Amino acid sequence: MRYCDKCKIEIKTNKPYCPLCQQNLSFEETKTVIEKYPEYVPPTRTLYPLTKKAMMFFTFTSIIILLVINIIDYQGQLWSVIPIGSILFFWFLVSFGILSKHNIAYKLAFLTSLLIGLLVLIDEYSFQEGWSYNYLLPLLLLSCNLAISVIILVKRIYYRDYIIYLLTILVLSLVPIILVFFGIVTIKWPAVVAFALAVSILLFIIFFFPKSIKDELKKRFHA
Amino acid sequence: MNKENRYDTWYRLDNSGKIFPEVSNHRETNVFRVAITLSEPVDKDILQLAVDGILSRYPMFKVKLKKGLFWSYFDHNSKPFFIEEMSHYICGEMNAKYNNGYLFKVMYRNSDIAVEMFHSLADGAGLIMLIKALVYEYLKLTGKEVKSDNIVPTKHQKPSMEEYEDANAKYYNSKNRKHVPEERAYRIKGTPLSDDLTGLISGIVSTNKIINLARESNLTVTEYLTALMMSVIYKTQIQYREHIPSNQKPVKIFVPVNLRKHFPSNTLRNFSNFVKASMIMIEDDITFENLKILVKEQFEKGMTKKELIRKMSENVAFEKNAFLRFTPYFLKKYALKIGYNMLGMKLNTMSLTNIGKIDFPESMQPYIVDLTAAVYSGKYNTLNLAVISYQDRFKMTFTRSIIETTIEKEFFRHFTSLGFDVEVESNYVEEY
Repeated sequence: MRYCDKCKIEIKTNKPYCPLCQQNLSFEETKTVIEKYPEYVPPTRTLYPLTKKAMMFFTFTSIIILLVINIIDYQGQLWSVIPIGSILFFWFLVSFGILSKHNIAYKLAFLTSLLIGLLVLIDEYSFQEGWSYNYLLPLLLLSCNLAISVIILVKRIYYRDYIIYLLTILVLSLVPIILVFFGIVTIKWPAVVAFALAVSILLFIIFFFPKSIKDELKKRFHA
Repeated sequence: MNKENRYDTWYRLDNSGKIFPEVSNHRETNVFRVAITLSEPVDKDILQLAVDGILSRYPMFKVKLKKGLFWSYFDHNSKPFFIEEMSHYICGEMNAKYNNGYLFKVMYRNSDIAVEMFHSLADGAGLIMLIKALVYEYLKLTGKEVKSDNIVPTKHQKPSMEEYEDANAKYYNSKNRKHVPEERAYRIKGTPLSDDLTGLISGIVSTNKIINLARESNLTVTEYLTALMMSVIYKTQIQYREHIPSNQKPVKIFVPVNLRKHFPSNTLRNFSNFVKASMIMIEDDITFENLKILVKEQFEKGMTKKELIRKMSENVAFEKNAFLRFTPYFLKKYALKIGYNMLGMKLNTMSLTNIGKIDFPESMQPYIVDLTAAVYSGKYNTLNLAVISYQDRFKMTFTRSIIETTIEKEFFRHFTSLGFDVEVESNYVEEY
């Protein structure tokens, strides 16, 4: 026990000064005590922040260079959206898809939606060929639906965390079929197949696990 | 209904819990801690087993925070809970990334077990219940002959629905919910600590002595400490500097009130409200005696049943508001944030939490040496005080986010000048 004769307090520590008045402490015995609170260990710096900075820098410079070349040599098409979109998607894939700790169904649903959005933009702003609506939109949704369903079947204990993302993608699968009615989608088979699969999965959940879907909706939408 | 081990359980956040997820960050963590010192070193494997056992009895704590369309909610957490070694941070941010989404932490160091909890999950009384159950379970697993004596909940009891209720909503009165506008409070200034570190200084005095001291002035211990705190703030921060504009704001001490003592409820969740001692300290000579009278009067006024129900209803009213209720969560988040920034944080100079005297069954007492309570301190409340007592150890713990320790020094010198023996503990944050 050390003693501060200025504050008149006792303190159990190895430190030579008083925490209240910073005065030197007097002590009789030299026995060391175990400090009540651990020392502060500052977080160790890794290579990662530097890598990130370097990659950020190259990303931004390459985007600027691509845009500049495209604008100088403009011939009616914004072809630079293709590489720029790929670079941005790569960022999301690494930071969100690989490095983040979100659950896998969320990652899949989010990255699929993002990919669809980017590809639609690329299609619109580059050569307007319509491949994004006709093929990619329905087929990506279809594969995402399949993937999440398989994950739920395989990792069944986490189904509570995954089911909302499956439902989201199921609802999104209605989009291509709606676009067919508006005449934006001209090639019908991918949209119809995606829709059919989505409805089948939905019916499967409704028939076999009605409670889980009801609970999930109640939970997410309680007001 | 038995909610034990059911994977489809989820809980609404209680009324006070709803605000904290939106306004918490690495500086304002809204985390508080109760630590318990045992008579022998803690075995971490047995502690882990004890925590696992307790979590199956208290499914309310085995949750993670999820977002819904209108409100966030607690969802059953199927990931394992891991205890950790105590780090230097006191009441640091509860980051879901590092803790499998759990909203509380169990830490160990030598003979200490510390439990930190995010305020959304429970209040001090809820945490005390948890820590009692945990220590009982731990001692039992180490082979000690301990009995619960009905003071400590054990894992063999069945959880009752009453433990989960939102008691605030139960006492809501739509006719008594008037909002009383408040002025911004004086803020204790100082040099901020870097890296979100928190300084901790606790002082231990004799419980009986301090109770007698408060009784001499015809006050409760909480009232006495509040008056003392105001007098110390006045002496160290404001006196002779009354002309500075920021010193003309009222000094307000926020004192949480455990409503379980005023209204019948056994809930483990948030069921507390507050009283405030408030004074604009611009007079030349404010004595401790004046402050004692002021605090007693203000506390008596603030603790009437009618006033407590008003404060409760005022809070519940916002979640009953139909417009806010059906605003999607991602927008509501900002509304709550702005509201809290304007109304909540800046209205207090500091908080003084008295958790009170903690009793353990006689068979457990030989194994328990000491208890410590601490609350976070942040950008606005740069200094907070938490008080807990066990047997004859009355422990007052200051946590601060500034380097200066003038207030603590003055506070403890008050006791030493009255002839008290004060034992001090510090985490020596100023070294880093």
